[in-house]
Amino acid sequence: MTTESRRPTRQLIEPDLPAFDASALDPELRAAIAELLLTMADDEFVIGFRDSEWTGIAPMLEEDVAFSSLAQDEIGHARLFYELRGALTGEDPDRLAFHRQPSEYRHARLLDAPRQGWAFTITRRWLYDTADSIRLAALANASFAPLAEVVAKVRREERYHLMHLDAWLERLGTHHGRPRGQVLTALKQLAAVALTVFAPLVGEQVLVDAGVLSAPMSQLADRWRSDATARLCALNLRPIPAGTPPTDGRDRPQPDESFLWLWKEFTSVARLEEGAQW
Amino acid sequence: MTDERRPAEGRRDEAGRLGAGADPDVWEVFRREKDGDPMRHAGNVRAPDRELAMHYAREFYSRRNESVRLWVVPRTEISDLSDPDLLQPPLDRSFKKPGGYVMRDKLEIAKRRAGEGAE
Repeated sequence: MTTESRRPTRQLIEPDLPAFDASALDPELRAAIAELLLTMADDEFVIGFRDSEWTGIAPMLEEDVAFSSLAQDEIGHARLFYELRGALTGEDPDRLAFHRQPSEYRHARLLDAPRQGWAFTITRRWLYDTADSIRLAALANASFAPLAEVVAKVRREERYHLMHLDAWLERLGTHHGRPRGQVLTALKQLAAVALTVFAPLVGEQVLVDAGVLSAPMSQLADRWRSDATARLCALNLRPIPAGTPPTDGRDRPQPDESFLWLWKEFTSVARLEEGAQW
Repeated sequence: MTDERRPAEGRRDEAGRLGAGADPDVWEVFRREKDGDPMRHAGNVRAPDRELAMHYAREFYSRRNESVRLWVVPRTEISDLSDPDLLQPPLDRSFKKPGGYVMRDKLEIAKRRAGEGAE
């Protein structure tokens, strides 16, 4: 890389979160949007931390930087969604991210499994990103303008994530021998679990009726299945199996060991000193 | 990301392309920092194909919004010219340089004349 001087890394031209009056929203709708935002924020937060585990050990140096950058993007999206929720509920985004009990996190079960090998990570991330893109598309015209605005920004970044994950799935999935075998194994293990991204939400009908979410989660799941299956079949990989999103896909009364480990990791600094600033 | 000196002398094809003399996995990246700027060499990335090379160029040279345009070129396609007879001949060529030709007084006169014309 060149040693030429770089411009400052953070150039906030305008705040990412638009200003709005939360009290103008119907309380039931506000609660439903807040719940939706928490699931999206937790998804992005957990996948961001999961994938950042590759920093320093990715298959090649360039991919190490690229994959870490993708993981950082997801943490950035999580921040936006936590902030937007905070603007609705008065909660502190930092407390939402770092000061909840493991059982209170609402991410999809798909994201609970440890990162495992590169093919597993790519397959899981591909499943998540394709599902997330269907969900984001269903929010693009949300009647709650601040959400539509945030979603529009996030989608522009997710476009590149999809390009990158597609490129990797194709390379691994069509490379006969070990990589393809590992992708097939990961798909077998994960394809059905990926439906947990579309687990029904409390207040989902309120969101649909108010024109925030364009269709119920079960319909989005069907949309995703048909899109993802078309892509997988083009690579001669197995289709997404039929099935409906499990109603408890985001519930974790007893968080599994893998998520408990991750939770301890990402809360370790926050738990060291209450109220620490950095 | 690689040793710049690697291309071997004397292994270029007729067009001067580095060709087999260069590492086929290395892609040179040029970037434009902002509209109106020229494309400048940024550095290089290593990638197995053009698509990933574009992705890595994006990550290395604009993940912090440093660029508005990138060019990604396989190093094998670069035409290389480093022949000292063509670039650094041993004769005195100082007469090709603009130095020694004093412009200052001429410039003053020209400026004064232009100023008078404007009045």
